[in-house]
Amino acid sequence: MLQGFRSLRHRELPLSKDSSNLFLKIMISIAVFLFAVTLSGVLSVNSMLVNWNYSILGSLTVQIVPFNDADRQKALEETLEQQQKVVALLEAMPEVERVVPLNDEQLQKLLNPWLGDDVNIADLPMPRLVDVKLKKGADVDYDLLTEKIANIAPQASLDNHKLWLNKLINLASGLKMLALSVLLLVVGVTSGAIFYTTQTSLGLHKDVIEILHLMGAKDTYVAQQYAFRTAWLGFVGGVIGVCVAVPAILLIARMAQQIEGGIINEMSLSPRSWLVIISLPLFSALIAMQTAYYTVKHTLERMM
Amino acid sequence: MSDRMMPEPILKMEDVSMRYGDGPEILSNINLALPRGSFHFLTGKSGAGKTTLLSMMYLAQKPTSGRVSIFGSNVNFTNRSSLAMSRRRIGVVFQDFRLLDHVSAFDNVALPLRVCGMNEKEIGIRVNELLKWVEIKRSTSSLTSTLSGGEKQRVAIARAVINRPDFLLADEPTGNVDSDIATKLMKLFVELNKLGTTVVIATHNENLIREFHYPQIHLHNHGVAIIPAGRIEDVAGI
Repeated sequence: MLQGFRSLRHRELPLSKDSSNLFLKIMISIAVFLFAVTLSGVLSVNSMLVNWNYSILGSLTVQIVPFNDADRQKALEETLEQQQKVVALLEAMPEVERVVPLNDEQLQKLLNPWLGDDVNIADLPMPRLVDVKLKKGADVDYDLLTEKIANIAPQASLDNHKLWLNKLINLASGLKMLALSVLLLVVGVTSGAIFYTTQTSLGLHKDVIEILHLMGAKDTYVAQQYAFRTAWLGFVGGVIGVCVAVPAILLIARMAQQIEGGIINEMSLSPRSWLVIISLPLFSALIAMQTAYYTVKHTLERMM
Repeated sequence: MSDRMMPEPILKMEDVSMRYGDGPEILSNINLALPRGSFHFLTGKSGAGKTTLLSMMYLAQKPTSGRVSIFGSNVNFTNRSSLAMSRRRIGVVFQDFRLLDHVSAFDNVALPLRVCGMNEKEIGIRVNELLKWVEIKRSTSSLTSTLSGGEKQRVAIARAVINRPDFLLADEPTGNVDSDIATKLMKLFVELNKLGTTVVIATHNENLIREFHYPQIHLHNHGVAIIPAGRIEDVAGI
């Protein structure tokens, strides 16, 4: 390694003048930009999946539908009575952490995105809802619970969100796999570009490399000079890519937050995710360095 | 003296032939053994194969057929890493210098030491001392491309001897310098030889061969003959 740093100080190979340096820098910038944006998508979807999974395991909703359309007042009384019974049942269960019967104001808020502010909830045959938060790790027998609820509140139905959330989770998992494939593709294409530019450069500097070999330089001596040069290009390209990617990610996040419905706006990056994105230039430098190093070693092994 | 008692030659060539591609043989069935600490001139007409023979000696090329052993190892079966280690023990002065034009005279001379991993302080002392000795008077940090032909040749010689090689090969090392410097450089080679370095110098310079009494490896008709020291009359057509 010490010899590597020495060869960084004394570069016998004039690699800084290679015309492919600019191409490689631009290529790596673009790759890191795409990588950062896609990675932020993967990390967001990941955190969203964790939240959704937590929702599935941690909550359920009881809905009491009014039957009597002709007498709205009676229907309201019936549903409220059944709601109270359900709340009492649920509160008595040891697996339940919190039971919240939704009041008119909360129901109004839920309807706002679809019906606007001007709707009087009393004019509608509104079902009453009970939001239930389960204790962490609670194991609830949903069939038994459904039966118990049906005995005390025939108009009630139990929804543990599994069906629709499972579909969303499947979609999100598919998107995540797609994004991961894109990440692999970006790494593969960039490594390929580094491989071919390094090989071209080896051809250009064949005479100098031959002299180095004749002076007793091992392949690693040449490979280290390429590795450090390409690592620097990878780092500079990475910094440029991240600098462009961060505003783009913030813009996408802001646009996602404007989508109503409470699903997409859960997409947010944790400080740890930001740290990963900001450290991408180090990864790009490392990948560039390794690719260049092994390309040189592999190519030189075919020479005398 | 039995074979077992004989010191192993530094270079041994057995039935070595060399051709480029499908072309004619440049060298045919060369058999040669250079004892450690010997000094030879390499002579022969232009195109006789001196540079080709030298290139096999400094491990730039493998023979088309035959066996080349250097420092006791058969080149045909030596791995890349061991070849590099062998090359570190060989100093070469190329006819066309083969200096790195984009770095300084200092860095060119320091190159063999750097590839060995020597520390910079030691390199600085040894390189500056040698550059002073070969009379590179201009700034040693000047790019090599700005040096004159004679200066380049002296830098090339300094690079070849800086790591005190066991085997020194020089292709027309005094071709571009005046006679005083040529004599001085030859004396350097002689001093190194006295310290144990095996020396082979390819030259057309009859005066040099006359002045320094060493045997010749003479290439003629694709073959090789050893001519004893001082027999200039035998060097037909050099």
